[in-house]
Amino acid sequence: MAIFPSKDWIEAVLEAAKKSEAYKEAAKEWEGDFLCVVQGDEEFLRELSRKEVMQGFMSLMDMIPAQDRAKYKDTPTGKVFESLGIPVDVSIKDLNLDEVMNKAAKLSAEDIKGVSLYVWADFWHGAVRNMMPVAPDEHEDAVFKLSGTYSAWKLMVSGKQDTIRLIMSNKLQLQGNMSYMMKHMKAVVLLTKEVFAGVPID
Amino acid sequence: MYFEIDSKVRDDKGLCLLRNETHRFAEEVMRPAAKKLDRMPDPEQVIAKGSPYWNVLKEMKAMGYHRLFFHKDYGGLGLSAIEAHIILEELGWGSVGLATAIGVDQVPAGVASLFALGDVIDNLVIPWAEDTEAKFHGCWGVTEPECGSDYIMATQESFLPYVRQLHPGQVKADNSGDGWVINGPKANWLSSAPAATHAGLHVTLPPHDSLANGAFCIVPLEQKGVTKGKPIDKLGLRDDPQGDLVFDNVYIPDDYMIIRPPFYELRVGQILCLTSCFVGTIFTGLARAAFEEALEYSKNRTQGGKPICEHQSIKHKLYAMFEKVESSRYYTRKVMEHVWEKIYIEGTFDASSMHALSAQIYGKRSAFEVAHEAVQIFGGYGLTRDFLVEKLFRDARAGLIEDGTTEVLGLSAAYNIIQEYC
Repeated sequence: MAIFPSKDWIEAVLEAAKKSEAYKEAAKEWEGDFLCVVQGDEEFLRELSRKEVMQGFMSLMDMIPAQDRAKYKDTPTGKVFESLGIPVDVSIKDLNLDEVMNKAAKLSAEDIKGVSLYVWADFWHGAVRNMMPVAPDEHEDAVFKLSGTYSAWKLMVSGKQDTIRLIMSNKLQLQGNMSYMMKHMKAVVLLTKEVFAGVPID
Repeated sequence: MYFEIDSKVRDDKGLCLLRNETHRFAEEVMRPAAKKLDRMPDPEQVIAKGSPYWNVLKEMKAMGYHRLFFHKDYGGLGLSAIEAHIILEELGWGSVGLATAIGVDQVPAGVASLFALGDVIDNLVIPWAEDTEAKFHGCWGVTEPECGSDYIMATQESFLPYVRQLHPGQVKADNSGDGWVINGPKANWLSSAPAATHAGLHVTLPPHDSLANGAFCIVPLEQKGVTKGKPIDKLGLRDDPQGDLVFDNVYIPDDYMIIRPPFYELRVGQILCLTSCFVGTIFTGLARAAFEEALEYSKNRTQGGKPICEHQSIKHKLYAMFEKVESSRYYTRKVMEHVWEKIYIEGTFDASSMHALSAQIYGKRSAFEVAHEAVQIFGGYGLTRDFLVEKLFRDARAGLIEDGTTEVLGLSAAYNIIQEYC
């Protein structure tokens, strides 16, 4: 079981992609990177009260070089960091998790408004060449940009809900060449069913 | 009952039982009702309280036929393509008009079951699937007074310049903040519209410059601003009431807008794949019904001292009819298996339009040709109301126009063939 989103989850997804022959075959012609925007919502706020989720969240942020993470400053996400006592521009490895959790308990729905996490994933000819958290404004030129609330993303990455149904019902918003995506639907479906759903999330 | 050449079906007791049970329903429930409805002098009688139309609709819903195309996670029966095909051929054998009624019935909630999430699933799709009293009845609003079968071409890129020249669409939806307001007329040819509670409606969105800038939504029809036309008086499919719908500032909530840009073109094409399989299969049932009527008649009708089936000219006809019925069954079934796989099993929604459209055209054309020859075998009696074959012929003729003229469907398929066949 992995926490979504976290460093462990990203590593497990990369591994699942390597192992899935079905995905490799379906996506062999796919060329296009994704900027994934995970927006904070009430479920995210609730989940942050779980130690392992907070740990996962911090492990994800720690993957971003400190100088890049500084770009979160003055954003709603940066303000939540501040409230939690997490410095955006220095290493966060040695922080006291219990202290962070105490501060997280005081967060409100208002605090979480506008919070966004960014994950960039580079899909190329059946391989996931790269997947990593990024800072705001990075990889804005990605071929596709997929945005949605934390709960919508969880539905997708857990395989509980079909990606296109989430997009069509506006739970996830997609920017990019829709025709291209539709022509490679098998790759999209198997990415969800085989790769993402292949990594059970907690 | 016909000899099933596919041993996977023939040797499966469950499928045989399904076929026999559905056939019994078609013979005992649908056929007698269809005959009565067909003979009603005033089409309004078809949808009047107490009409056999409602009894059959309720019975079909009790059998679950109204949710054949629903997604299995949202009210669907989870049938295989072969199961669905067997049911539909038998329903078409019983009455293509009533089969059409149960087909369009599932368009509003069935499409929502494939693409929607949230309140519309809980408040409409699931109650619809569970309905056995015909409290819900759907219709499919596509064609408009200024745009008939051409509306189908809105989903084909190559036809867009032509479609733009023709008409930008008459039924328009405009955003009203938390929902949509709909205005404009749909044509007389909407199956079940005079009796329906909800429409699965095709509309255009601002700036209303083209049918291609379209959307599919669900519109509850029992509300202010909706005018349902009277059932039209027509040649065939008289057991399927058709009429127009006019919308005057009709409101729907935002989640009733099921398919919107940029999905409209691609997803509507896939809905057409499903409906094409449906139509091709029910008309295969009609073709078989006409063939069986003619075969039976030819064995009993004596001329020149022997049954007419022993005359060479009749043998030629019977053979040609048999060939059409059989090829229509196995072609439509194969295409339905393909479409089913792409939509319900893989969920990739990339079924081949050219095959789905050709299944529809082939089924409808076979039905017309077989029914035409059946009337010919009956001779003068084929023109009288004493035999079912004249109804089958009228229904088959209507099929060449209903759900898209075969010419327009062929043009649409040709586009795919030219682009994709290699």
